[in-house]
Amino acid sequence: MALHQLWLVEREGLSAWCGGGFGMFSTTDGWGARHLHAVALSPAFRTSLEVPYELEEDAARALALPSAARVGALARALAERAPRDLEPPETIRIDVFARRHDPETLAPRGELLRSAELRLDGATAEP
Amino acid sequence: MSLALRLTLLVPLLRPIGSGWLRPALLALAAAGLVLPGALRHPALWLALALLGAWRVVSGWPLADNHAYLLVYWCLAIALALLVPDAQRALAWNGRVLVGLAFACAVLSKLLSPDYLDGRFFRVALVEDPRLERFAMTLGGLDREQLLARREFVAQHVDGPAPVRAVPPEATRLRRLALAATWLTLFLEAAIALTFLAPLGRHVWLRHALLLVFCGSVYAIAPVASFGWLLLAMGAAQCAPDARRTRLAYVFGFALLILYHPAG
Repeated sequence: MALHQLWLVEREGLSAWCGGGFGMFSTTDGWGARHLHAVALSPAFRTSLEVPYELEEDAARALALPSAARVGALARALAERAPRDLEPPETIRIDVFARRHDPETLAPRGELLRSAELRLDGATAEP
Repeated sequence: MSLALRLTLLVPLLRPIGSGWLRPALLALAAAGLVLPGALRHPALWLALALLGAWRVVSGWPLADNHAYLLVYWCLAIALALLVPDAQRALAWNGRVLVGLAFACAVLSKLLSPDYLDGRFFRVALVEDPRLERFAMTLGGLDREQLLARREFVAQHVDGPAPVRAVPPEATRLRRLALAATWLTLFLEAAIALTFLAPLGRHVWLRHALLLVFCGSVYAIAPVASFGWLLLAMGAAQCAPDARRTRLAYVFGFALLILYHPAG
């Protein structure tokens, strides 16, 4: 389990706090320090999507383990709730960021961990 | 051995875990183990606790806390130990190895982390985590205004490079405190991993001493009493039947953590 956790941290961006590898209190990169942006895209517009209450846990899981499958699943769930009053969006895009700190000043910067696009014809892509 | 089992059952009773139907089920099992005659040493009780605990981990994947995993391993170890003739010895061995491996993993994570050894983790956590602010203000020499300014600065959401803005000053004392916490934690965890995994012969008291010091000091600050209680239960499992004072020390340590964190 612990070796699997190390592998997921290295390969899939799992937060070291999670996954049963006993990496708590070892890094500032807890899932709560990560954030994501979801946007609906069409040729004419770009709309930021709020994560609704019922998807908050899915979003938390995607922050903790931003694998392509998990972020893609969140994109699909958001697509079902995307606004369609003006023009149906063609794509849902999700960007997951981790917070890194400057070693001296601790100034934070955002590091893109995963970016996934879900085309609403059903295809998922990682740009 | 009964002490270790009882302390383990107190953990979900003191801090109910799981959600939905899982919570009352775990509470009922833990209470049954403490109250019903014969239940405490029945492997089925511990197997059921391990299975429910495993369901909690799987259904919450990957968000469950690390001690949720440890609770599953430990309940499973108890269930299996109760099936063999020398349950006391089997449980002591399992507790020792589980504590040793958990601490070895914690040390490995800190060594592999990109922001632990240089003190960054504690420099950020001490100002960002409200549960640590009392410690940061008392020992780090921060007043509330400085603390809030640093917190707002380190917790900014940034999507790219760091924004150009004035950096609020960081107290030298806080920096020293963070560095001390970094190395003391690493040293203590490494010492516990080594002593629990290595054969110590006559010096097994060292294991108890280190684990009790760790729990008595770290959990005064770290807001995860459940983890500490679980470690103490696993430590108590290693007490020889005639080690009355050591067992009392574990009971005292367990009670101390309740006082440290009566509600959190």
